[in-house]
Amino acid sequence: MSRGGHFHVAGLRKRFGRRLLLDDVELHLHETSCTLLTGENGAGKSTLLRILAGLEKPDGGSFRLGRRLYPSWRKARRSLQKAVMYLHQQPYLFDGSVEYNLRLALGGQREGQEALIRTALQWIDMESFRETPARTLSGGERQRLALARAWLASPEIMLLDEPTANLDTESRGRTLELLRGLRNQGIVLVIASHDPHHFEELAECRIDLHNGRLTHLAPRGAGTVQSAKVIPIRQGYA
Amino acid sequence: MTSLAEATGHALDLLLAGDAGLWQIIAISFKVSGSAILLATPPALLTAFVLAYLRFPGRRLLISLFSTLLSVPAVVVGLTLYLLLSNQGPLGDWRLLFTQSAMVMGQVVLAFPILVAMGHAALQSVDKRAWETARTLGASLLRAFFMVLREARFGLLAALLAAYGRIIAEVGASMMLGGNILDYTRNIPTAIALETSKGEFAQGIALGAILLLLAFTLNGILQHVQGKGVPST
Repeated sequence: MSRGGHFHVAGLRKRFGRRLLLDDVELHLHETSCTLLTGENGAGKSTLLRILAGLEKPDGGSFRLGRRLYPSWRKARRSLQKAVMYLHQQPYLFDGSVEYNLRLALGGQREGQEALIRTALQWIDMESFRETPARTLSGGERQRLALARAWLASPEIMLLDEPTANLDTESRGRTLELLRGLRNQGIVLVIASHDPHHFEELAECRIDLHNGRLTHLAPRGAGTVQSAKVIPIRQGYA
Repeated sequence: MTSLAEATGHALDLLLAGDAGLWQIIAISFKVSGSAILLATPPALLTAFVLAYLRFPGRRLLISLFSTLLSVPAVVVGLTLYLLLSNQGPLGDWRLLFTQSAMVMGQVVLAFPILVAMGHAALQSVDKRAWETARTLGASLLRAFFMVLREARFGLLAALLAAYGRIIAEVGASMMLGGNILDYTRNIPTAIALETSKGEFAQGIALGAILLLLAFTLNGILQHVQGKGVPST
């Protein structure tokens, strides 16, 4: 998806044994939007997000990223993995320091790596944690590190699976603040959560997954931009 | 026959005096086993990774096959390869029998299942989110593979050391495939077997001491690196 484009999925189907988890699902994401995905436990929220991120194969469906149309998931997979970032409910942190984890998102990029890492650490208020082993961090710190790492990978769409689950009030507040920052920067967010009220101020619209079907609930309206910690715009985002 | 104390004293002299013949045997051992590990490791790690991360028909059968191969006697491997490489065998034209290459082949066959079985266990213990996270961070297949290998590095190192320990000390395959030729295919275990059969214990004890030292060193390295591992969450 080119920035300024749309992401559209149609006819998405996924069956686990005899159970139809996703039944002809259609989803349209607008640029600079934040969508809340709700549904009961086991409704298929995570499966839907994993399919959209190119991590799990559906039984059928077509994808449109920007102007490009992919008739199947297999053909869309590479583009999905490039454009879409999926964050697990408990983000996986690699065995190494906070800095090591951030560097992984920059891949082979050499130029400006140091500045980007410094910016990311400042953004999540973790400058003093640079050398700290990532796996010794608290739940809230892990979530912030995962968000910073995701931001460094410059995705166009970020899919977050229960990003505030098991976080205390303070950590939840800080995570929400970071998510606002990402949305304000133009990254399309889709947040799967059991607790819609946590994201009421952040999400412009809500979709509910029930019996394999997506129901688009009425948009909240303007999608007001909330106060958020400003992230410097990365090259390619402007 | 000399007494044990005398033979041990003589063995120490041989080691400290830098006896050329003795050190040549040690050098051949390390060269052959080092080459075997270098050749076996890349395909074994790839096989272990495929078994740990891909689902395909026959996967479970392959896993139990490699586990079974862990306990195959070295002499059986030696015999099988001997039959293949002998003049009458299908690979006789390669003229490899009684060469270091044949010894390397035997040791590769012995090391491979150890590396696969232990490597598979190590990779299996890595959280599947590691692979997915690597891919969503934009890593290519190859880079994601190495990122996952790094996560399993302590278990993989244990596999490497176990395989190396097994092949440098095995006598059956080396004896049958190398022929125990002085200054060419005589390694530590085959030399110990030969010297003992002649009643010359000094060199046998000296070489045995080297193997013991190696075992202690490998074990020490393993304990050290495993102590450094941070529990995965």
